[in-house]
Amino acid sequence: MTAPVRRFVQPVYLLYICAGLCLAFISLYPTFFLFYGSVRSAPLGVAGHLSASNYIRVYSDPETYKLVANTLIFAAGASGLSVIFALALAWITVRTNAPFRGLLELTAVIPNIMPSLLVAISWVLLLNPTNGIVNQLSLSLFGLAPFNIYGIPGLIFVESLVLSPLAYLIIAAALRGMDPSLEESAKTSGSNELGVALRITFPLIRPAVLAAATLNFVRAAESFDTPAIIALPARIELFTTKMFREAIGSFPTNHNLAATYGVGLVALVFVFVYLYRRFTAEVERFATVTGKGFRPHQIDLRGWKYLASLTALSILVLMVILPFLTLVLVSLMPFYQTLSRAALEALTLRHYVNLFQDDRIYSAFRNSLFLAITGATVCILFAAMISYLTVKTKVIGRGLLEALAFIPWAFPGTALAIGILWAYINFPIPIYATLWILMVAYITRYLPYGLRAVSSVIVQIHKDLEEASATCGAGLWTTLRRILFPLMRPGIVAGWIILATFFIREFSCSIFLYSPGAEPLGPLIYFYYEEGSFGAMAGVGVMTMLVSVLLVAATRGLTKGRAIA
Amino acid sequence: MTKIRIACALLLFVFLSPNRAYPDVAGAKKEGRVTIYGSLETSTMNLLEKLFKQKYGVDIDYWWGSSTKVTDRITTEFRAGKQLFDVTLNHRPLLKIMKKEGIVGKLNSPAFKFFPAEVFDSEVGPAYRNVVIGIIYNESHIKPADAPKSYEDLLAPKWKGKFVMADPTRHTTTTQWLASMPKIMGKEKADRYIKGLAAQRPVLADSITPASQKILTGEVPIGFAFTKYIAIYGKEGAKLDYVKVEKMLGDGQYMGISSKPQHPNAAQLFIDFFLSDEGMKILADVGETVTRKGVYPAYKDADKIKFMDVDELDEAGFAAKSKEYKDIFLK
Repeated sequence: MTAPVRRFVQPVYLLYICAGLCLAFISLYPTFFLFYGSVRSAPLGVAGHLSASNYIRVYSDPETYKLVANTLIFAAGASGLSVIFALALAWITVRTNAPFRGLLELTAVIPNIMPSLLVAISWVLLLNPTNGIVNQLSLSLFGLAPFNIYGIPGLIFVESLVLSPLAYLIIAAALRGMDPSLEESAKTSGSNELGVALRITFPLIRPAVLAAATLNFVRAAESFDTPAIIALPARIELFTTKMFREAIGSFPTNHNLAATYGVGLVALVFVFVYLYRRFTAEVERFATVTGKGFRPHQIDLRGWKYLASLTALSILVLMVILPFLTLVLVSLMPFYQTLSRAALEALTLRHYVNLFQDDRIYSAFRNSLFLAITGATVCILFAAMISYLTVKTKVIGRGLLEALAFIPWAFPGTALAIGILWAYINFPIPIYATLWILMVAYITRYLPYGLRAVSSVIVQIHKDLEEASATCGAGLWTTLRRILFPLMRPGIVAGWIILATFFIREFSCSIFLYSPGAEPLGPLIYFYYEEGSFGAMAGVGVMTMLVSVLLVAATRGLTKGRAIA
Repeated sequence: MTKIRIACALLLFVFLSPNRAYPDVAGAKKEGRVTIYGSLETSTMNLLEKLFKQKYGVDIDYWWGSSTKVTDRITTEFRAGKQLFDVTLNHRPLLKIMKKEGIVGKLNSPAFKFFPAEVFDSEVGPAYRNVVIGIIYNESHIKPADAPKSYEDLLAPKWKGKFVMADPTRHTTTTQWLASMPKIMGKEKADRYIKGLAAQRPVLADSITPASQKILTGEVPIGFAFTKYIAIYGKEGAKLDYVKVEKMLGDGQYMGISSKPQHPNAAQLFIDFFLSDEGMKILADVGETVTRKGVYPAYKDADKIKFMDVDELDEAGFAAKSKEYKDIFLK
């Protein structure tokens, strides 16, 4: 057997080939259809020819560049603010002795399970300039109604609240997995707590912060939920709102144009993936989990600890408590109305009673739970495998795997759904019009989220551990099972929770791909919103959150004690 | 004898034809389900489904979307050789496009005779409902005596910036609705009226549902919205009313049957049930302005509304009107 052949029959190369083929298929197959659609003069299935007309139409329009600028401002603002919120929360709850931090930590995960559409609607109810609840209160107390949600600042604020929980999970996982010896060395050398935090702790968690910021930047750039509720009435044009209105929401629908916008966003996201990879190129610099036993110490804030708890609580009031209470209030109203004595007297549990009587709601919950549990498990295991190959091995072309995983991520959900629809409608395995096409779509679209969650932990695992394992005679599988997998567990659990909570409320792909009889919760909530049945929508929303909390709690309960201490 | 044989064969052919008007109930039961893609609200379809299943033991699989999305899904499936829907509830122009492409077949039903001639389209059959757009107001915030009495009253200074409507540069039904104003007030007056509306700087919503929500909550207590909301929210205790003007415009909604239905008997059974007195009363009960003779929506003076269908606009027509309204509403 020649040396190159021997190399390719090594387990790591076999793993690489299998993962690469799977990834290439789920990623490139729908992407090909989208790209092909963008250079065609007619929809697929209709006679047409190759043409650059869609690109000319999009990029010769000066408004496109204005939209891109608006989108960049919105995405950078929302991503930056979300990381600030998440960093403050994560540091207080994970690393300090602030009181009630356990409760605060649990609360911080809740908004991750709030459908973002509902968060945006809640904030409109609270801060709209005419009869927003906060403005009404302020008017009666101070004679002023100072807030107006309908503007770029309002849009950035709400989106940052939607994005913060994801950043929190990633940053908190990195903070938990840190080696304290570096901090202890700094303290021994005379540095105070603040100096340690600024010079040691934050630089060490930089990959996680960058991962969270990159994720949230792209998530905001391709987000449509919050812009649909705030940007459209505020007449702020973003890439996604323009794309939705002119390509998907228009008459007649122009999928080819939608595909063209999608390809543009892919290019934009690739720039960010490249930048991200440059930031984290020297992974050794961030390796903090070594063979030594570790437990990050808690910083004693002394008298400041109450202020820290109050700060975390204030962030959580904005992120969770206010929107959740608003949602509960709306779910108790027979119809959506201004807060008044008459409105309070008319409160009813009717929408909750209906939850247990409507077969359609039951079926949607069953479908979404199946997709969340099965889909998140498959997705996170796949992500762990890819993450291991890209971060921990020197396999030739490993960067390609990550690039492949990121391609579908760059497409707004609706555009990706078109690619998936075109790709799988006539696929030899008949998954179209079943729950399985939704699962394929979710895994394709959300794999990078799992990847980021696992990667931010895996880059901190020093290669000494694998080398020690190999020296002791362990093979790839034993090293994975005995060393890497247990160390990756916090990232895997965090990633699973992120994915499961995304899947249970997924909307943008589902709305296009679901079929009668295979309807998940996302479209059901959207229908109620579109029909103006806000009470029913809020009822299903609150119940979705409750189910998600139980799911997260069960996962944490099952994995408690197994996580690395 | 030969003539009798031909007549028998013809009768047999008619009887066995998948699009025949008299469905085979046993056949429908055997098929077990009917797949419908439509823009009718899911809550209304749930009510229809309950009764339909109770009567015939046939399930309804319903895929809801805006008319554009429904058409998009149907055409994409058709082009891929998969016609999964049996019946669609949709807009006339979109049904005509689908008819032209051979996606929908000829619709027929014994219930047709209960629909007035003026709601029939020669290609796609009768409109089963008209989604009427009127001036709706919240009585908790505006006393009926203070409410406008005509379209023109909204141009009074006291309503400047105080009413809501869907953005006519974005919302296609509203684009069509404004473009059809000449039908009720003549071209010159309509042109002046539209400019007057724009000069009033109305609050613009993304579509009619959010506009109606603003009226309902009192955020903007008056505006243009679907009259059906008066009945829908009235049942929940909301105090909404509408300005009774002589003529009102709205959007006709039609239905189509697949040219190759998967469940032909169940599809025909549903169409007959839907257009029956029973089916139409379910729609009227939730405030829909149905077109079947003698069935009226459940709000005051609904039987007196003189409804006029909005004009259809083609792609170029939409673009031109959208630009025109952009210049006056968004300047």
